[in-house]
Amino acid sequence: MNLSAEKKALQTEVGDWLEQHWSPELRRDKPAWFKKVLEAGYAVPTWSTKWFGRELALESGKIIEQEFAKVGAPGSAQDRKHLGAITVYHSGSESLKEELLYKMLTGGATCLLYSEPGAGSDLAGIRTKAELAGGEYIINGQKIWTSAATVASYGMLLARTDWDAPKHKGITFFILPMKQKGIDIRPIHQINGDATFNEVFMTDAKLPVEYVVGELNAGWKVLQEALAHERLVMSQGLTEKKAKKSSDSAQELIAMARRNGRLDDKVLRQELAQTIAYRKVHRLNMARAKRNDDKQSKASLLAIAKLAMSRVQHSEGALRAKILGASGLLDGPDHVDAKESHYYSASGYVNSIGGGTDQIQRNIIAERILGLPREIEVDRNIPFKDVEIGGDRN
Amino acid sequence: MTNLTDEERSAILDMFNRLLEDYHDEPRLRQVMKTDEGFCPDLWLKMGELGITGLLIEPEYGGIGAGPLELELLMEQAGSFLLCSPFLASAIVAASLIGQSSEESVKQRLLPDIAAGKVIASVAMTGDRGLWTEGDVKVSATAGDSSTVLDGVASYVLHGCHADVLLVLAKFEGELALFEVSPAAAGVARKSLSVNDPTLRLSRIEFSNAMAKRVPGVGLAEVKNMMDLTCIGMAAECAGAARRIFDITIEYISERHQFGRPIGGFQAMKHMAADLLVEVESAVSVARNAAQTLTNTPEEADAAVALASFYAADAFFEVAAQAIQMHGGIAFTMEHPAHLFWRRARTNLQLFGSSDSHRESYLVALERAA
Repeated sequence: MNLSAEKKALQTEVGDWLEQHWSPELRRDKPAWFKKVLEAGYAVPTWSTKWFGRELALESGKIIEQEFAKVGAPGSAQDRKHLGAITVYHSGSESLKEELLYKMLTGGATCLLYSEPGAGSDLAGIRTKAELAGGEYIINGQKIWTSAATVASYGMLLARTDWDAPKHKGITFFILPMKQKGIDIRPIHQINGDATFNEVFMTDAKLPVEYVVGELNAGWKVLQEALAHERLVMSQGLTEKKAKKSSDSAQELIAMARRNGRLDDKVLRQELAQTIAYRKVHRLNMARAKRNDDKQSKASLLAIAKLAMSRVQHSEGALRAKILGASGLLDGPDHVDAKESHYYSASGYVNSIGGGTDQIQRNIIAERILGLPREIEVDRNIPFKDVEIGGDRN
Repeated sequence: MTNLTDEERSAILDMFNRLLEDYHDEPRLRQVMKTDEGFCPDLWLKMGELGITGLLIEPEYGGIGAGPLELELLMEQAGSFLLCSPFLASAIVAASLIGQSSEESVKQRLLPDIAAGKVIASVAMTGDRGLWTEGDVKVSATAGDSSTVLDGVASYVLHGCHADVLLVLAKFEGELALFEVSPAAAGVARKSLSVNDPTLRLSRIEFSNAMAKRVPGVGLAEVKNMMDLTCIGMAAECAGAARRIFDITIEYISERHQFGRPIGGFQAMKHMAADLLVEVESAVSVARNAAQTLTNTPEEADAAVALASFYAADAFFEVAAQAIQMHGGIAFTMEHPAHLFWRRARTNLQLFGSSDSHRESYLVALERAA
């Protein structure tokens, strides 16, 4: 089989289809356009034909995505990007797929309702309550660090359904319709000035009994699957778009040092080179992971990526401040370098805390990659209702 | 330079690994490092038979004509065994310079014996400051009536006291040039230097009116080529050694019990281990990247080689230093191997240029690329 011929044919097919059907004003009616993409088989091409797919290989999916990107059309590659739909497709029952996949894939965005103020690093300690009453689940509790909460139609919700079971065994994974009156969304004002995350308060919010993903009280397992998909999403595409090329970033930092008259400072040059090296080294590690077919080595390289990226971001933030010296005290639109240095310095925490802190990641590396003994968990095998909680939480 | 097939490459790697296991385990290393010569003759002979000492030498001169990729992989292995031998001095540094000579007869006379491991060659190239820069070449050559003579001092010469072939970088008519002197010649005074790392052999050599023969065609550009290969070899050695002492440490903290459990179960240890894994993997990445860049896009190699040079050396030192800390008292003893890795790491922070100087070179290369 001539792969490149097959690839060309797909390219032509998608290109022709887009030429016939796409125009930028269609962006105004997103559901209608997404419906069209779904029906054409371009939304989730790697999925089974039963569920809107074409059973294509990942590489073919990427070709479709590239063709869509060329003309700026949305709606493709949802099998790689739509976490909610991916989770329902892989972990949901047939009836749940029937109920939700079409709605999700035609513009029903999802958000994550995992973390809580009292359950961050220790996610299995969630206390949001789901109770069966009158043929539906009633949800009460508070979630935090939810991005895109205001635009999402559905939330991927972790809630406790059995308080007598140990903490990992009483959790259920739900899909929560977000557009209802029991849900109150408040933005979080972050230290870098952004407000990309929200708090979500659920007060007698409701969801149909069918909206359970996987088995009742088996939510921890479903979550692991969802997190695996999330990591895949993060490692493909999404992060690529955001990540600076190491060469660009290097030249940007060198230019900044020059602009501020610091490029001939021998001490600063050392720190500048080291900081640039951190990003380059991270990129080399990732390239090695990509090429590597030795599973263990690949896992090792992927596991250290988070720590390496934190080092990149925090050191770049610190370096920017150092280059500026006292003028780094200033802020505001008239002081762009300083403004950016504050932004970079504060934003480093998005990586080093978000998605599990670096300290949790170090535990994971030590236990799963290096085979060191597991942490002792004093609350692992006792009923959750007996687990001690500190502070002023109820 | 020829490229080996994947099969040939892994065959050589396997053989070298087996050799090191058989002839250079820790007890053997401890024997060898006590000798004046600083290498195991049996191992050296075998390395010659397998063509490892002829790694970079072209097949027409008895070598196997491999390149940076193979050098890098072999040096990772050498590093993991803390290889104590003139391999780098003779088969890399000296062989690279001679191989670039424009004079056929010199190559024919010297390279086959170096390739076979029959002679050990070494290059005197830096002065008492040990900067490994052109400015730190402190030997000068003067053309006399019948021959050229060398005057001055070279130091930090690897295996200089036991080298059969002694090459000297010298200033000659304002340019850098390479000379060969007979180690026994009048006016050549070799002195073995007392060093901290027992796996290291360094000499200081004084030249006074010593007769020398020019090795034509070797100047600044050729020296730079040699330094690229040498630095890649050094970086790879750091990567391999860092990996080994890291593995030793993880094994130890998995087994050592205190407070009724393995000390590797404590987060204080786990977090150190996780941070060191970043360094271990990164050292391998930078070393391999330098070899690949020099092979595929040599015009971009300056930055890659400089990066490998400081990053791998710093990483090795960090891992070796923390390894002692994580072991605790046991690694504060001479009987434990951790200090050997730590000493080699401290060596590699300086040999062929300090980390700081490589960091500066890295930035200079990036500025040039802008």
